[in-house]
Amino acid sequence: MPHRGIHPRRVVPKTGRSSMSTASNEPPAEVKPKSAEKAQDTPATTPAPTNGEPQAQGEKAAPPAAPKLSNAELKAKAKAEKQARRAQAKAAQNAAPGGGSTPTSAGQSGPQVTEPKGNKAKGKPDGGRPADSGATGKAVGSKGSIPAPLPKPEGLIPECFSHLSMAKRLPITQADKDVHPTVLAIGQKMAIFGIDESIARLEATLLAFKKVIESYTTPPGNTLARHLTPHVLNPQIEYLSACRPMCFSMGNAIRWLKLQVSKIDPDVPDSEAKKLLCSSIDAFIQERIKFADVVITEKAADCVQDKSVVLVYGRSSLVEASLLLAHSKGKKFDVIIIDDPSEQKGQILAKTLIEKGIRVTYSGDFGALQSHVELANIVLLGSEGMFSNGALYGRAGTCDVAIAAKDHGKQVYTLCETINITERVSTDSLTFNEIHPDHCSSKSFRLLYDTTPSDYLSIVITEISSAQPTSVSYLLRKLEDSN
Amino acid sequence: MSTQKGGYTPSLEKFLDGLKSRPVQASVDLLVSLLKRRQIKGSEACATATAHILLQIVARDKWTNVDQLLGRIQLIGRKLVAAQPHELATGNIVRRILGLIRDEASEDRNDATTDSLRPASPPVPVPSQTSSPQKPVRPPALASIGSFARTQSMFNLLSDPNVFPSTGSNTSTPGQVSGASTPILNPQATNVSALRSEVIDGIQEIMDEIKMVDEQVQTYADIFIHTGDYILVYQPSRMVQKFLARAASKRKFTVFLVVDPSSAIDADNQYASLFKSMVSSGSNVITILNAGLMAYMSRVDKVILGARAITAQGGVVVDAGAAAIARAARERRRSVIVLGGVYKLSPECKLLPESQIEWGDPSKYVRFADGSLVSHVKVKNAVSEFLPADHVDTYVTNLGAHAQENLHTIITDHYKEEDIKFELYGKAQR
Repeated sequence: MPHRGIHPRRVVPKTGRSSMSTASNEPPAEVKPKSAEKAQDTPATTPAPTNGEPQAQGEKAAPPAAPKLSNAELKAKAKAEKQARRAQAKAAQNAAPGGGSTPTSAGQSGPQVTEPKGNKAKGKPDGGRPADSGATGKAVGSKGSIPAPLPKPEGLIPECFSHLSMAKRLPITQADKDVHPTVLAIGQKMAIFGIDESIARLEATLLAFKKVIESYTTPPGNTLARHLTPHVLNPQIEYLSACRPMCFSMGNAIRWLKLQVSKIDPDVPDSEAKKLLCSSIDAFIQERIKFADVVITEKAADCVQDKSVVLVYGRSSLVEASLLLAHSKGKKFDVIIIDDPSEQKGQILAKTLIEKGIRVTYSGDFGALQSHVELANIVLLGSEGMFSNGALYGRAGTCDVAIAAKDHGKQVYTLCETINITERVSTDSLTFNEIHPDHCSSKSFRLLYDTTPSDYLSIVITEISSAQPTSVSYLLRKLEDSN
Repeated sequence: MSTQKGGYTPSLEKFLDGLKSRPVQASVDLLVSLLKRRQIKGSEACATATAHILLQIVARDKWTNVDQLLGRIQLIGRKLVAAQPHELATGNIVRRILGLIRDEASEDRNDATTDSLRPASPPVPVPSQTSSPQKPVRPPALASIGSFARTQSMFNLLSDPNVFPSTGSNTSTPGQVSGASTPILNPQATNVSALRSEVIDGIQEIMDEIKMVDEQVQTYADIFIHTGDYILVYQPSRMVQKFLARAASKRKFTVFLVVDPSSAIDADNQYASLFKSMVSSGSNVITILNAGLMAYMSRVDKVILGARAITAQGGVVVDAGAAAIARAARERRRSVIVLGGVYKLSPECKLLPESQIEWGDPSKYVRFADGSLVSHVKVKNAVSEFLPADHVDTYVTNLGAHAQENLHTIITDHYKEEDIKFELYGKAQR
């Protein structure tokens, strides 16, 4: 994926899928499970000391090893522990980069990752983890349970958007000790939007999980099918969604992966089971991502007529690939790029296109949108997801472009891999959305996505079909049947 | 206003400061070049500049009858409009002043019952020598506009003994201004000078109106903004900011302030006073950095936009990007309120929406250092665009709130039929 331009705002460390291989090869040196544990410890209500604590408050609670403790003593001890933790959490926050988002992060993973080391082998309740709840995240739920709320006035999310999720940018030091180094790395990349597109995040996640599975050995007395998901996969998933709320495709894929794990016969030896899982992940990536992209690009390129004008919004790798493919098929067409002034990713696309000799008109904002749309013949939109009612979940601004296109009677083609389709339903953009972690105060605020109702989309191109957006729910059912 | 204080950048203030020291023609040429280079831009600045320059023409040019004056103003008006054809306010002021002159002239005709202002009347000698007793000094007018020194200096200029070498009549009683009460002199000259002062007064009134618009419009704020509302504003002008601040003094609501991300850094300074007044009264301001606003529309109750110009049909010229917002608001059935002074209400009826898109500086998003983009990509950056009438619910001017159907009435109240027909844009639109 050749893009040479440097993002003007943020230094992005190698965007796109290509970055995966490098990410997974180098184990990050700064993994410190111990300190990580300390920072986001158990809530004070659990009297059992965790492993991290003794160092933390060795001086404070003088007789930690006292054989018998009265209730009052226990309480006092718990209190002291709590204070120590608070102090630590504070220190961690101060040290942590990206200030504003951290206050919640300490508390965020707290309730979920409470399990002290000792309990490890004994199973713990798993079921209702919000891990695969996708973009809905858990901002609201966890907020209430923050043990040490230290909200800085700067970092407050405006009240009317408090239900939306936001990338927490969990620092590596606060990650659960069980998080695999590869996952740590991609989590950080996702947190800073180094891996941004839904499908790229999905691929990175799956590849990382493959690494996790490869390095896994079932402890004696357990079966892989029972042990892998709650004790190994879930911490990874929690960490990833703490770094940034998961997108729909990740939620879908993780559900699929858990299903595969649970299907494994307990009698199958470890190595074989792992091989089986890895190969099914590979097949999944091949089928649902790689092959899907090829098919969709092919179909989309066919939609681009010779001597036509194509309008696109921002930069989506699928749209980019489609345009390049159409060009390589010998079609002559112009491209109008409408860009989001805060992201300016359209400039990267513009550079890629002009390199191939495609004529490009670039508009940096939504000024005179109607007149731009009027000049176009078709509109190609990328997507972050599709709801089962046919609404498109796309980059903020997509809806405005689609509305303008509809006003002028232009065809709007949406490119979407089926893995991005969720069974959820959304009618407005504030049901599911994500807040940009750099802009989450009243001083500056930015939503990352919006929802385009199906009325404004002409055709949704997936690897299975090109159809009306309302037929997405049928697609979904078809996919479930085939699984 | 984009005019800057200090430095050497030409601005409206500097232009006005130097106005009376320059010959009229030089001022006209300077203004034309300032408008062309967009060193004076924005409807308020353009309207003020136009009013001032036309006042100079009325006051200092040598004209001997109404038609001569009308012709002169039309000529200058065309030049000014051609210099910045997207700014409808310039043309509006020109037309208002033309109408004003016609009004005053017809009154004078009735009053004096002379035929002195016949269209075909031959040029008469410069009235300056003879008209000294009827100094256009009008204390009542002065009192009403005493707040700004510049206009006073206009009067000083008119009463300048060099221009009007008079003898002591400067102190003559102020009541004797109307043409009827003048001493017996050359009736034509008398009328000319009386007309001159009447027209000058009229122009002063227009300038006052422009100045007062913000205050007058904001009095309607609490009618439209209610407690608990979510109000979306887009790059609010001073008028919109004042409107919000006024409403905030009575009610608590939330403002979604949409700013231009490329200028988000200095957005704080730009809207500092708005933040201050809003927060101090308990209202909320949320600065939004999105370009597409559809995502927020389910939360927004009202969209308030500042107009650059309003056409008779109800279309509005707005900052680029506002049309997409209004369209999104329409989608969710949110009401769109447009604020603008009556002087922005343009009788121009031959406007095409496309022609009202003003394309501006492309370096806003693509820097010139970015060679590959600069040389191969057609970069377009709109500055203003046209918002069709059906995307607007209410227009609030200094006269109150209007429905789209009422705009015609206001136009007929403020403009004369013959001036509406007058092709100001002939040159500009080719």
